[in-house]
Amino acid sequence: MFPINHKTIFVLDHTPYFGISSDNPIDFDVPKNRGYLPVPPICKSLWTCSVEAAVEYCRIVWDLFPEGKLVRFVVSDNTAHMLNTWAVAQQNLTHLLNGLCLVGPVRRGAGGDVEGLVAAIEALAEPSPDQTSRPNERHFQNRGRVICITSARDNDSIKNLKDIAHNTIVQINKKATLAQPASTSESTSTTPQTLVIHYCHIVIINVTPENAETRVTNQPLTEIAGGQIGVEVIVSRASALANLLGRLVLPHYKLATTTVTGIPMKEEQNASSSANYDVEIIHSLDAHAGLRASQTPAEALESVVLRWWTPRGAEGGASGCCGSLWRVTPADVASRPSACLVNFLLNGRSVTLEVPRKGGGRSASHVLAAQGGELWIGALGGRTPYDDPPALSEGAGGRVTDYRIKEFGALMQQNRLHPLRGAGANGRARARLQRHTTYWPLTISSTLIFNLGSVLDPLTRLVVQETLTDEEVDTCRNVLLSLLAMESRHEFPTAQLPSNMRGKSSGRREEQWRQVWAELEALVRAHAAAPQHRALLRVLLDCRAHNNHASDGESRATVIRATTDSPLSPVGAGNGGSSNGSDVWAPRNVLDALLGAPRPARRPDFAGRMAAGTRVATLYSQLQQDVETSH
Amino acid sequence: MPTVILLDVSLSMSRPVPTSDTTETHTRHTIATAAVNTFLDYLSVHAKLEYVALVTFSSVYEVSVPFTRDFDSIRSKLLVLEEGDKTCIDTALLGVNQLVLNEWGGCQTPVQIILITDGSSGVGAIGRNRMVHALPLPPSYPAKIHVLPIVSPHESSLQHAMPLYQKIVDLANNTTTNSNGNLSRGSIYCPDQLTVPGVITAITRLCEQHYQEFWCTLKCGQLDARVQLFPAPQTISLEELSATYTLANQIHVIGFLQQQELTTPIAISKHLVIPQPQAGANTGPRENYGSKTPTKEGSSTDGSATEEDMSDPSKVPNFCVLLHGALKVEGMAAVVLLGADWWGTLTASCEASRGRRSCLLLSVMKPGATAAPWLGALDQLGPAEEGTTPAETFPIRSWRSYSGGGSACAWARPHALLADVQKVLRHARKLPDKTQHLFKELNRLRRAAISLGFSELLTAIGNALERECTALPPNAPSECALQLAHAANALRDPRTALDIKHVLTPLGPNYNVTPMTH
Repeated sequence: MFPINHKTIFVLDHTPYFGISSDNPIDFDVPKNRGYLPVPPICKSLWTCSVEAAVEYCRIVWDLFPEGKLVRFVVSDNTAHMLNTWAVAQQNLTHLLNGLCLVGPVRRGAGGDVEGLVAAIEALAEPSPDQTSRPNERHFQNRGRVICITSARDNDSIKNLKDIAHNTIVQINKKATLAQPASTSESTSTTPQTLVIHYCHIVIINVTPENAETRVTNQPLTEIAGGQIGVEVIVSRASALANLLGRLVLPHYKLATTTVTGIPMKEEQNASSSANYDVEIIHSLDAHAGLRASQTPAEALESVVLRWWTPRGAEGGASGCCGSLWRVTPADVASRPSACLVNFLLNGRSVTLEVPRKGGGRSASHVLAAQGGELWIGALGGRTPYDDPPALSEGAGGRVTDYRIKEFGALMQQNRLHPLRGAGANGRARARLQRHTTYWPLTISSTLIFNLGSVLDPLTRLVVQETLTDEEVDTCRNVLLSLLAMESRHEFPTAQLPSNMRGKSSGRREEQWRQVWAELEALVRAHAAAPQHRALLRVLLDCRAHNNHASDGESRATVIRATTDSPLSPVGAGNGGSSNGSDVWAPRNVLDALLGAPRPARRPDFAGRMAAGTRVATLYSQLQQDVETSH
Repeated sequence: MPTVILLDVSLSMSRPVPTSDTTETHTRHTIATAAVNTFLDYLSVHAKLEYVALVTFSSVYEVSVPFTRDFDSIRSKLLVLEEGDKTCIDTALLGVNQLVLNEWGGCQTPVQIILITDGSSGVGAIGRNRMVHALPLPPSYPAKIHVLPIVSPHESSLQHAMPLYQKIVDLANNTTTNSNGNLSRGSIYCPDQLTVPGVITAITRLCEQHYQEFWCTLKCGQLDARVQLFPAPQTISLEELSATYTLANQIHVIGFLQQQELTTPIAISKHLVIPQPQAGANTGPRENYGSKTPTKEGSSTDGSATEEDMSDPSKVPNFCVLLHGALKVEGMAAVVLLGADWWGTLTASCEASRGRRSCLLLSVMKPGATAAPWLGALDQLGPAEEGTTPAETFPIRSWRSYSGGGSACAWARPHALLADVQKVLRHARKLPDKTQHLFKELNRLRRAAISLGFSELLTAIGNALERECTALPPNAPSECALQLAHAANALRDPRTALDIKHVLTPLGPNYNVTPMTH
């Protein structure tokens, strides 16, 4: 299951031969160098050439794949020096360059590439963190690539290398298959076990100085050992090594290059004039999918040339992209045009790219933008299967016009997500949403309390909190009391309501008050999990009880007294024990709340009791008589 | 997924089908037409939004009806198709590739292709072999190919063609270019018998397996709505995670983000979220609480509408519509949990081109917590504590510098090395003002050179500085000469030149002071 490019290992030859010069002098004497004493040309060693080429390969891989694509370095002289492991912390250029500093230039001594190649194949058998994390999936394919930069005398030596690689793989696989049953029988092996290598792609790059002759020839990819190993041999001059690896990285990671052409830039020396530059960028091959229709297979292998479309005032960023974005990295990080383009994008601008057409007419094809400090390319245009959606207004719920959109907006603001640290953040977010939506009518016409705005606001806002402080309970109680007072004055805050809900008649008002109290109870009851919430609920129930006996002036006084005297320990609160059998803390839904609410004592009393007067009323007093008479 | 019906119109399709029933005569072509009509009938009930194209082929291909949602245009076209010569599947597939890439290529939209042919591959054994190699497969877009051979299961030509069909189905799925995961495989649907009902059974089986509507529940805390996702999300298998992901039938909103914070999510697919009528049980007391209260019954305006509301789904409040409205008004997006370790976002999307018709769009992100790097780890998105502001804000910036970890690896191209050397020499000319710059630059250069084992460079620069020293004009401050000589020696000192721990520093003030007293 793991792709070949999940693990790559570079083997760098650090033997004395690589200390020789590449014979490719770098000329420092350029025309611009006015007045300076010329620096004589210098040559890099083969070692320097191979290191810089390999490091550049890594830079591209790690810029484009911050995770999941691992590269290791093995420096080979008389022993194999491992510069890094598969650990994520060691998969970066800084770690690698520090390691290379310690290796230093080529020293005299024996040894050669063989040590490194064997070590590299052993490294391939070590599981990567991703592979360790799924030890139960035995069926995954452990595949990888070894890129060996060396210099052999002739094809026979290369053949020798291949044989050694083959033997090593056979031995490792034998060991791994033997070790595997043992490790599975134990619970979880803590020691890094050896994995079977299912496939290994070995690229041997034979490096020579500029004018040296070599008897090694290019060999195309051939499979040996029953398709377990694929070997190819590439001969390269040291000076061309960087280009070679820059080209090889593309198929290895399914990448493609785009040349952004016609980027207007101020001249370095002369800021008043501007010239057009080209910058080559590297990204996933998928980014070019949209262009394939108009490409021949040969063109698909070349760098696609797209023209810079000078951005205008309002920019959409990458938002016009229809799907994926792919990471981008410049092919030549050190060039000034690249740096200018990168900075332009990192500063928050975006660029549209167009396909250059001869006949005129423009069509935007891609967009370049930075997000979160990384550069991305996205494809523009094209049809999507979700084009032309059905109108929401014709679907379910589409004709309802009084959704509480503003209030839901407020709820969204209260439930904004933030980058946190540590586990369980998602769970907390969902729990909070759950709390905030416990009692949440969808439409304006289905609620009164949420339409009363400032009158009820502190309560509706506070009650959704996980816990309430005593002060907050106090605030809520004051809200309830002010409602009570309002009701007693036969007022209703109608100004807050939408016009169609404002009733004039007193009968309607009574109903409205009933609904307000019922809704309030439903709201508070839905949150009655914490002690303070329960206290609030008791206050509310007291108020409601009063609401149903509105004519009884005396009871109102007692309610007010009861609810103001001791807010922290209301009557019957016990010590917050929830198991005292009262239905106050039993979670109930709104319907229960409505049905269970005390009703006005309008119903005539039980006939039996009326007959019994002060005595105990007996039930079914005729039952016995009926039985007797029937016999 | 858009669908291409790839219909064989070769001469062999016009062969009459022997039947016991003499009242009707059928050819393979009319049976195929019946199959296509059945397919379109199924779609118009279950997937009205699907785009379908009709491509006919013999030795050449023709796009008879380009991608459309107007299935009737395909039905009427079926009646007037002209017959061609011989079956050439590879040409046909080439044509399909061209059509799909032109139409959907940019977005890597997955496409289903239904190949309807008559069970003879049009070539002999050798030709078949050659054709397998010539097949333009896998296509450069994600695709699923189904084959519906209009052939009696006992016919010998089918035995020969079967391996070819299997190869086509397998190869179509073999798309290695797509980094966004792979589709499930297509299949071959052989009818049990060569009759209209037999073929209709086969195509119905295909529809039921591959054109299912996708329903799920969108939940936001205690609020929920039943929704349809279109196009139906596909099971995703990711090579690098070696796991498959199938969308759960509940999508949970975990919270909200400002649209600017989200910017563009890296979506592997996008789906319309279409609200569906609530099941009767779902209109619980919470949703229509108000309508049950006496208040509304008393009012003349909407009291009578209550009964009607219940029967007309468009008048029953739906959470999905509310969410869409609120997201649009606030310019926000919702982050949803699609399954274990899998996230997506909901946005109100508005197409300017389509009469500003707006819809709720689900963007399915790549599975894994790192699918949107600028949001940080997605499993660590959470609510801010009440009254506190979180330490980090969006976007989470990455450490990437795009300079290649210093400049060490940039020297593969000579111009970069040249620029760095010139910078040192420029500073060397402007001593003593640029002393600090010179040494800073020298240390950077040294670090890069040491990691590359490029000792030649250090020696060369040492020599160059020494020569600068000798070429100083007579009126230059003596400090210049001292600093240059110091730097040149340090670069060439065999004991320390290649020691990374050793840092070059300018000569201290006491050295500077001494020459001044002369």
